[in-house]
Amino acid sequence: MSRTSRPPSHPRPPAPPGGRRKTPRRSARRRGELARRLGALLKLSVEIGAAPEERAICRTVVTGLNEGLGYDFLGLFLVDEASGDRVLMASVGWPDAPPGFRLPPGRGLTELPLVNGRLHYTPRVAAQARYVPGPNRGSEVDVPIVVDGRTVGVLAVESGAADAFDQDDFEILTAAANQAGLALARARLLAEERRRADEHEALLATMADLSAELELSKLLQATLRRAVTLLGVTGGELAIYDEERQQLEVVASVNIGKDSTGTRLGLGEGAMGRVAQTHEPLLIPEYAEWLGRSTQYADVTVHSVMVAPLLAGSRLVGAFAAVHADPARKFGPADLRLLNMFAPQAAVAIARARLLETERRRADEQRALLETMADLSGELELAKLLQAMLTRATTLLGVTGGELAIYDEAAGELVVVASRNIGTDSAGTRMRLGEGAMGRVAQTHEPLIIPSYGEWEGRSPQYSAAISFAVMAAPLLIGSRLVGAIATVHDDPSRRFGPDDLRRLNLFAPQAAVAIENARLYTAAQRQKQYFEDLVSNSPVAIVVLDRDHRIVSCNPAFESLFGYAPRDAVGRDLDALISTEATRAEAVGYTQHVLEQGPVRGMGRRRRRDGTPVDVEILGVPVVVDGELVGLMGLYHDITELLKARQDAEAANRAKSQFLAHMSHELRTPLNAIIGYSEMVEEEVGDLGHAELAPDLQKIRAAGRHLLALINDILDLSKIEAGKLELFVEPFEVRQVVDEVATTVRPLVEKNANRLELACAPDLGTMRADLVKVRQTLLNLLSNASKFTERGTITLAARREANGDGRDWLVFTVRDSGIGMTPEQMAKLFEAFTQADASTARRYGGTGLGLAITRRFCRMMGGDVRVASEPGKGSTFTVRLPAAVEAPAAAG
Amino acid sequence: MPKILLVEDNEMNRDMLSRRLQRKGFEVEMATDGRQGVTMAQAAPYDLILMDMSLPEIDGWEAARQLRAAPSTQQVPIIALTAHAMSGDREKAIEAGCDDYDTKPIELERLLGKMRALLDRNGGA
Repeated sequence: MSRTSRPPSHPRPPAPPGGRRKTPRRSARRRGELARRLGALLKLSVEIGAAPEERAICRTVVTGLNEGLGYDFLGLFLVDEASGDRVLMASVGWPDAPPGFRLPPGRGLTELPLVNGRLHYTPRVAAQARYVPGPNRGSEVDVPIVVDGRTVGVLAVESGAADAFDQDDFEILTAAANQAGLALARARLLAEERRRADEHEALLATMADLSAELELSKLLQATLRRAVTLLGVTGGELAIYDEERQQLEVVASVNIGKDSTGTRLGLGEGAMGRVAQTHEPLLIPEYAEWLGRSTQYADVTVHSVMVAPLLAGSRLVGAFAAVHADPARKFGPADLRLLNMFAPQAAVAIARARLLETERRRADEQRALLETMADLSGELELAKLLQAMLTRATTLLGVTGGELAIYDEAAGELVVVASRNIGTDSAGTRMRLGEGAMGRVAQTHEPLIIPSYGEWEGRSPQYSAAISFAVMAAPLLIGSRLVGAIATVHDDPSRRFGPDDLRRLNLFAPQAAVAIENARLYTAAQRQKQYFEDLVSNSPVAIVVLDRDHRIVSCNPAFESLFGYAPRDAVGRDLDALISTEATRAEAVGYTQHVLEQGPVRGMGRRRRRDGTPVDVEILGVPVVVDGELVGLMGLYHDITELLKARQDAEAANRAKSQFLAHMSHELRTPLNAIIGYSEMVEEEVGDLGHAELAPDLQKIRAAGRHLLALINDILDLSKIEAGKLELFVEPFEVRQVVDEVATTVRPLVEKNANRLELACAPDLGTMRADLVKVRQTLLNLLSNASKFTERGTITLAARREANGDGRDWLVFTVRDSGIGMTPEQMAKLFEAFTQADASTARRYGGTGLGLAITRRFCRMMGGDVRVASEPGKGSTFTVRLPAAVEAPAAAG
Repeated sequence: MPKILLVEDNEMNRDMLSRRLQRKGFEVEMATDGRQGVTMAQAAPYDLILMDMSLPEIDGWEAARQLRAAPSTQQVPIIALTAHAMSGDREKAIEAGCDDYDTKPIELERLLGKMRALLDRNGGA
């Protein structure tokens, strides 16, 4: 309500100078006056209730009491909780004390109600020492303003006159003060609500900022700015806790008189160090006087300091400090409450951001590893790979140096293959399993951190001179198989390896193991490739590799020396066009095609050298299949010109031998015919001439001649067979008839040794188409053979016809004797020329030793064969199988 | 008494066979090569010709063909004699026009059997 709203019908009584005078009368007029004042008071109450906030309430109270109730000198103080000062909120008639004027504790009468919560009347202010001299040196009433049982302010009313107030005034002022207290309580509640809403909003904004700002340093700077604004302070700083070193590190600093970023504080050091230790917030009214201050802040002028730990759960994340540079401003419980609201949120946000940061760092590490692998995959040479890998590992882990060893399975030892910055070049050092750090991890298959190598009981004498500080080692494993080991070292005694380092090493180790294994396999493959390349390039056989289009991919030196084409002349060209002659082109292409379509091929052919001369080659073609896919073929050419010539020579020599034998046999036979013939003739004549006693001698001459003739005939047969001059004359004949004929012929011979000849012919023998002479001679040979080696026994000639599965008939002749038989060794050589069971056999049994060899050759010529089964002492059985229809060779001889 | 022409270049074989046949009652005349054999056979009638196949001038097969080609000697039986019983010799001989075939060295009884068979056949005709 404003002054202008004052009703004119109730003019204010003129106030005495210096204050309102006490009216002692209690008359009707006074009663009327009281009613009017009570009405004004009621109106004031309504007005107060409508005031929106503290300052407005205070002004309404003061104005209402002045205008409606006639008090001319008055003011309303509220207590500043932080300082305890009474701060003047509104006043009338006090020109020297503007709003905001402060009365510190210990001064002024207005403090009196604060002490006991009751109205205080001072009839003569001049008598009071604590009175702060003002214009009205009369009397004063001080009324407490109580909110929720607590005195939060004082309503002070003065008068220039001494003892100017009575009971009525006390009642009116108390009522007004009570109304003010109620209004203030409500306003404060409202303000609190609003403030909380604001704080909440601010926090939400902070969180939004924080979540958007993942980079830790920026996040912290933003958090700090937010906090400084929220708290209305001069500046502040934020530190995060380095768990490993157990230190706080200032990471953000705003307006504290210097850039303290990077400052490190031990636990307990300075304000932040203190709260980091106690996990409790701390208010420091005057930093310079505080005993716990840090020397690191000696150059900074701050006064009031408020500090809080940042805790995520019970875990220390960091610390936060807010400062006032204004000596007049002090931190109070409200600030602390705000801080307590802010700190955990900030801590959680920081923790989360750190987590994100860690995640990102891990992602970076993974990426670095991937890069490592990508880099290293290009580097398959083992030595370079290992050095590159070690360099990568030491960088990744931020260590001074390290070394890498691979496991020599054969020796059961680790061999250091790469070494970096460890004070000694350890490459080549060998360690047993269990020796030193790497030997230990190779044995246990577990990583290992050694805080101080020099003091470690397991140290290797090979290293104790070079390494004395922290060492971290890990085995390189593929599955459970040891591939090698890696060790990293710090040369700084203050550095230690922690779980994070171990985690990173564990990330790296398997990748390194695989890379080493790949490189090893590659090296092995290279070696093998080299081996094969050497083999190919040193091979005396010409080797050429073709693609699927018959184009030359590569060829070896032997190819050049055979055909005259160097790789540069040959590669890319069609092989068959290059080296085949016109006559052999189709055949060559056929070979190539066959290899590609059906598989390996072997053959012989004539090819052409670069100079046009022909060369006879043996050819081997094989498909080249890579990963199951046919990519081309490999051709091998072996120069057989010499070989062919040698064979032709040999064949010619053999032919010459056979011809010689045939010729010689013929030449021998002519005189033999004379010898045999004349001896027979004379044998016939001696009886007539009366010289019968000469007959036995003549018989001996004839027999010897016959034997010699048989030998010569057999040799002639064999040599003709070998010379390929023996022809096959196929004709049809009755099998039974031949058997009977042979039996008749051979019977005298069989019976000579008192043997019996038995025939066992199946009824369905029928006819066969074969070389009659050879069939007959075969049977005669076998029968005469049986006769020779059997005495007083039985010789059986059996014949039968057999149908075989493919519709062809076979004739099977069996000659069985009950003679002396043969051992397996004798049988093995039986069908070879000039062999009888042993040398004495020939002397004892006669024969040329060629009969069976000839027999077998005859049988084979006709597409059949002869076999023998025998046991010493139990006789032998020869079985001849011949096709019923012998195929006449197209061109024999 | 059958009259035989023996065509044989080898003197000892000629002498031996002729003497043995004469002892068995044959009248034997001799030629020493194929050409002479053909000439003699065409000049005078023989009951049977024994012809060696390996002969100088013209060989036994050619001689046999010529004898068969000439009307005067068309019907005279010819027995081919070869040095050795090789497959095909017999067929070649028959093909050339010989009536039979035997191998040397001569087994006299076997040869006489073949000779008698041919002489009986011709005599009966």
